[in-house]
Amino acid sequence: MSICKELSRRTLQTFDTTSHAMRSLASKSLAVAALLAAFNVAVSAQQPAAAATAQATPPPPAAPRNVPIPKPVERTLPNGLRVVVVERSNMPLVSAALMIRNGGEVDPPQLAGLADMTASLLTKGTQTRTAPQIAEAIEALGGSIESGARWDASTASVGVMSSRIPNAVEILADVVRRPTFKDEEIERLRAQYLDDLTVALGQPGSIARYVASRVVFGDAPYGHPLSGTPESIARIKRDDIVRMHATYYRPDNAILVIGGDIAAADAFKTAERFFADWQKPTAPLPAASAKATATAASAQQRVVVIDKPDAGQAAVLVARTGIRRTDPEFFRGIVANSVLSGYSGRLNQEIRIKRGLSYGARSALETRRDTGPFTAEAQTKNESGAVVAGLLLGELSRLASGELPETELTPRKAVLIGGFARNLETASGLVAQVANLALYGLSFDEINSYINNVQSITAKDVQGFAGSRLAAGAANVIIVGDAKKFLPELQKQYKNVEVIPVTELDLNIAQLRKTK
Amino acid sequence: MLRSTRRVLQLSGVAFVVAVLLAVGVLVPRGARAQTKVPRLDYRERTLANGLRVLSAVDKSSPTVAIQVWYKVGSKDDPEGRSGFAHLFEHIMFKSTKNMKSEMMDRLTEDVGGMNNAFTADDVTVYFEVVPSNYLETLLWAEADRLASLNVDDANYKSERDVVKEEFRERVLAPPYGKLFYLLEQKSFSKHPYRRPGIGSIEDLDAASTEDVRAFHSTFYRPDNATLVVVGDFDQKQLDAWVDKYFAPIPKPNRPLPRVSVKEPERTGEMRFVEFGQNVPLPAVAFTFLAPPKASEDSDALRIAESILSSGESSRLYRSLVYEQQVAQSASAGADLREDLSLFSFLGILASGKKPDDLERALMAEIKKMQDAPVTAAELEKAKNQIITNQLRERETNNGKALALGDAAVLLGDPNRANTDIERLSKVTAADVQRVMRKYLTDTNRLVIYYLPESLRPAKPAEEKSGQTSKHERGARVEAGGGK
Repeated sequence: MSICKELSRRTLQTFDTTSHAMRSLASKSLAVAALLAAFNVAVSAQQPAAAATAQATPPPPAAPRNVPIPKPVERTLPNGLRVVVVERSNMPLVSAALMIRNGGEVDPPQLAGLADMTASLLTKGTQTRTAPQIAEAIEALGGSIESGARWDASTASVGVMSSRIPNAVEILADVVRRPTFKDEEIERLRAQYLDDLTVALGQPGSIARYVASRVVFGDAPYGHPLSGTPESIARIKRDDIVRMHATYYRPDNAILVIGGDIAAADAFKTAERFFADWQKPTAPLPAASAKATATAASAQQRVVVIDKPDAGQAAVLVARTGIRRTDPEFFRGIVANSVLSGYSGRLNQEIRIKRGLSYGARSALETRRDTGPFTAEAQTKNESGAVVAGLLLGELSRLASGELPETELTPRKAVLIGGFARNLETASGLVAQVANLALYGLSFDEINSYINNVQSITAKDVQGFAGSRLAAGAANVIIVGDAKKFLPELQKQYKNVEVIPVTELDLNIAQLRKTK
Repeated sequence: MLRSTRRVLQLSGVAFVVAVLLAVGVLVPRGARAQTKVPRLDYRERTLANGLRVLSAVDKSSPTVAIQVWYKVGSKDDPEGRSGFAHLFEHIMFKSTKNMKSEMMDRLTEDVGGMNNAFTADDVTVYFEVVPSNYLETLLWAEADRLASLNVDDANYKSERDVVKEEFRERVLAPPYGKLFYLLEQKSFSKHPYRRPGIGSIEDLDAASTEDVRAFHSTFYRPDNATLVVVGDFDQKQLDAWVDKYFAPIPKPNRPLPRVSVKEPERTGEMRFVEFGQNVPLPAVAFTFLAPPKASEDSDALRIAESILSSGESSRLYRSLVYEQQVAQSASAGADLREDLSLFSFLGILASGKKPDDLERALMAEIKKMQDAPVTAAELEKAKNQIITNQLRERETNNGKALALGDAAVLLGDPNRANTDIERLSKVTAADVQRVMRKYLTDTNRLVIYYLPESLRPAKPAEEKSGQTSKHERGARVEAGGGK
């Protein structure tokens, strides 16, 4: 719950609960030479042919400067724990993240939210510390500790002043290795999850994203809400949590990333001190999970309206399958998405800048271990819900079939590269980027090659990707809002509109409607 | 204002167990505890003949530069009947100028791998860009251009006004507690223009014209009402020359600058309101207390109190209300420091099955504890450590450093306050915290809002729509909330 007093011109990027992957994409690396070639093209395109006075046109850029890119180093402990360290010393801060290579995708179908609850409970009590003692210990250092599950991973992380890092890693090791999962804490957390869900299910935006997952992935693992449903959260038992922890939380299924103002040798020493005696179980690791993405679910395009008569605004979302993180077309995908998304991306150009229909429109290509979702979304007054849906889909089609001039493509690549570089400026951003590469088994060289990889994408690559991997024909439409204000218009465009009153919404099943 | 993190009403709480402190003590022997310092911001300050103040700090750790222009005009300066105007105007500053087409600022930033944004707060409006450092001159030209001239055409204006109306819907109408935040400020001030909502209202936005835009620009957008802040990778001499070239020719008008002089009267008795919303998953209870201006000596102690009450899961409110009593789903306190006068506020969202009165009593008990006994030495040290760490995080980037300098210069009158802030905080004692809690968190200075779902609105009186309830009407509310 937050009061954000400042009113910003840009849409605040608080929309996504889903896009860890996107967040780390907008991450780091600086090999600015290549960047600058792009910059010059972009700006000269702006300048009037005949400059009137020095004052009337922008002065051109100076020569660009290079900087070194932080280079991660790694070591695997005898128990199988992979330790990665990346140094950056502009501020006396260090972040450390312990990542388990499984998250919400291993939730049993009836127990949606189990991985997230398990991870959240790590900080709620260990063999030697109660929940308040854990909070007290880390906060007394001026630091913080967080834990939770995402898709494909469960993470616990700390951030502290560099002088306090050994203490912080000791606490981190304690919560990951020795949680007690007391009944009292489980019940307290269950009540909080249910309250949080009540709040989330009151917002058109979050309802639309829950519905989109079900529509795109059906009953497959990525289909359920990461933090569960009111029904599944009520079903989770302590035994389920203990089993989840015993199965997946083991050194040979974990990655520790330490980044910031710390020497690599000290970081490795700290890692060994608190993790070397973490025993690897004799049982083999569970086999890689079954496909997290349903193939059947995407066959039929659905148009789903969740009728919420008291909604002050409609949330409009277009969703379909995207790609996995290791797809060879990854860079084509993120450049294609950048043409659509961002402040001056096509979606915001058409919906906000040209038509004033929303405070912000955006898309996300969320890449995971298995195929993740592609979503495009905007919130608008209820009356314009159908129009905005049409505009979102229209831009998806236009990307595949229309023109994409260099003067448009080049700046959209610069947006990606600049965002990547800015995210490397903070210890936590650096750690998030490195951890994500490690999680998906990608080379750290990708940090260095990121700029070249982006620059090498052509307009044809983008159009090809949009046509074959993001085709609008396979995209589903979801609108959550006051249906009477947009339904007649929507029904003119689609024959197969499913209207589900919010009171009859069931997120546990692909059909989405409560069965009576 | 810059400290949006502080205004954020987060989960929080506190509490202390001796064993915990001992455990911490074992981990971090006192003697070995080297206090981490926030690196000093070595800035340079100059003022041009036209009144423009320029602050700059060189930092070559990344090849980027942050450029900010702070204008001393905020939502409190909205013209009468035009609530939301300063913010709408901020959006218009990205439209055309004498030498730039609409959205050209995006071409000069986003298109070259940089970013731009702006925010409107109660007391200031701030525009900022982060770009590869070889674009510094380009952006100085652009900022000077929109300070010197603004062209508004009707079509652009109306379309952007529609965007702001959607922003209103997205912030106020769509989120479950949007209307509560919208009302909190309006109820908290009786005379001062802080009472007007910064986002405005649909009617006031509709009433605003392009003529208002032109008048606002010529009234407030002038060099002697602006502070330019540049932090990052640049050469100081070169910067000075560019500033002289692009900003110095902008004339200073002879007209006086209008300033808000309205004084908010002291509160003379507790005020209570019951508000109803369409989309309220769980009822909420909020208090506000009027507090002294941001530059007051008491602000530091109020910030420490905020941290002890509200920062993290070891904070007093989280520990007591959320964790132990489970009366709230979330509970927080915030020192919302403003130039003319501040608010110290509390917000709790009820846990399922609890009553607003339960939460109000629990919040009041925590306030009383802060007033009856000094906070512990460990709490005080923790709060200071947390504030130092937050400051380090804020200053990891050039943009964060520039925000710190701008805030100190424009709202505290001295950019060096960015360097002395931690030293001032470190001098705050437990007695100071207790004193300010007693001084400002009084019954007569308290405003209470219960925010309830529409379904709990009493059948009668039907015409009572978001109005003030007198103390006599409390009975109805209590009943609505589920009885005592």
